[in-house]
Amino acid sequence: MDGSRTKRILIGKVGLDGHDRGAKFIVRALRNAGYEVIYSGIRRTPEQIVRTAVDEDVDVIGLSLLSGAHNELLARVAELLREEDAGNIVLFAGGTIPDRDIPHLESLGFKWVFTPGAPLSKILSALDEELKEGV
Amino acid sequence: MDELVDQIRRGDRRSLARAMTLVDGVGPDVTELKDRLRQSTGDVPWWGFTGPPGVGKSTLIDALVTLLRRSAHRTGIIAIDPTSPVSGGALLGDRVRMMRHAVDRDVFIRSLATRGREGGLSDAAVHCARLLELASYDPVLIETVGVGQNEVDVASVADVCVVVLGPGYGDDIQLIKAGLLEVADVVVVNKCDLPEAGRLLKEVHSAFAGIVGVAEASRLPDPHTPDSAGSDAEGDESVSASVRRVEVLGVEAKSGRGVEELLDTLMEADRVAREPARRQSLHDRRVLGEIRRSAMKRFEESLDRVLSNPTYRAHVDRLLHGECSLDMMAGRFAADAATELYRESPDAGDVPGEDSA
Repeated sequence: MDGSRTKRILIGKVGLDGHDRGAKFIVRALRNAGYEVIYSGIRRTPEQIVRTAVDEDVDVIGLSLLSGAHNELLARVAELLREEDAGNIVLFAGGTIPDRDIPHLESLGFKWVFTPGAPLSKILSALDEELKEGV
Repeated sequence: MDELVDQIRRGDRRSLARAMTLVDGVGPDVTELKDRLRQSTGDVPWWGFTGPPGVGKSTLIDALVTLLRRSAHRTGIIAIDPTSPVSGGALLGDRVRMMRHAVDRDVFIRSLATRGREGGLSDAAVHCARLLELASYDPVLIETVGVGQNEVDVASVADVCVVVLGPGYGDDIQLIKAGLLEVADVVVVNKCDLPEAGRLLKEVHSAFAGIVGVAEASRLPDPHTPDSAGSDAEGDESVSASVRRVEVLGVEAKSGRGVEELLDTLMEADRVAREPARRQSLHDRRVLGEIRRSAMKRFEESLDRVLSNPTYRAHVDRLLHGECSLDMMAGRFAADAATELYRESPDAGDVPGEDSA
């Protein structure tokens, strides 16, 4: 409704994976870039992530996975979001995700998949570009 | 807007979440929605939780919600974290402590950023709390940002005010200085598993013992911890009903120890806050606070405009040359600011329906 309002982003960790340095790094970077960032904490279920995203009415969900279970867990998040009629929320993922899985994740609705070594500037400008378009 | 309000009443979560985004923004529609919400709510007591950063406010709320759910209370929570004054961004992290309630349909948690407001709340907090009330959440819990000594905004909106402290806060001098304790209905000392907590509990206790007319009761959840003095205040008949009673409790939010006793205390305070006369005065105070805040904001904006007018340069010189006093000059500027406001909206003096009162 108001294109200039502060955008809200949920950064989440799904599944049995306690490696949260990357997620916290992104949380801090997004906060410093002027976003309101909600962090889920580690080892969350897709259900918890989607419920949080809907209740917090976020514009974007970014999910970090280093467990290897990305195909299953991310598919479940995308599915639940559709069930909640919240398909308008922009999805992206990051973590140790093999290149060969990326097309599949993109087909599920993940707009970007950032793998280790992705420069922060690339992540921030992708979000900026996307969110600037307005709601 | 009627449709939105109806959908929220019927329990539609997305509508509730979206309405919260609306009231966290600006615009003419939003003002109308806020007015509508104010008219439609006010019956449910709000519980405010405040205290320094890191004392365990979110963890305590998480533990309370677990118990509230056991007795089937639909619980709504507003959790506020600070906006960065540099970037305008915020990390809303209170929710991390409450994730076990994330999939419970009868719990609704919303995180808000202060967006530059000082005092511990965000401007949207009251409106979001009203939205929760409209959606039949009862009680409504509001967690402030981590506050220091005098950020007591929550006291003007919450009907039951809980101040949470933890060991490491400082000595009793800090406690006496802090205005924070003056607004408390309940003071909770969290982290009672830590050795210094017993000392803090005693100090909080004696801080209240020093205030005439305030009765207090102190309880430790651990039977092994030596009992502190003051339980004789319990049956003090000389304390009139109008005197604010401050309860002091020790808890360990993480393990849940003492939280049941705290909930009993809060339920009792909640019951009192529902008594019709009390309900009305609490609600009046909240709405008056909103009117005051909004009026002050307009006045300050007008005053800033007046002060930025270049012709006032001459007045500053008069003041500096001793031709008038600061009081006179300030009075003049204040009057000008008020006149400006009146000129902008001459009908402002005629509030509809005022004559019929």
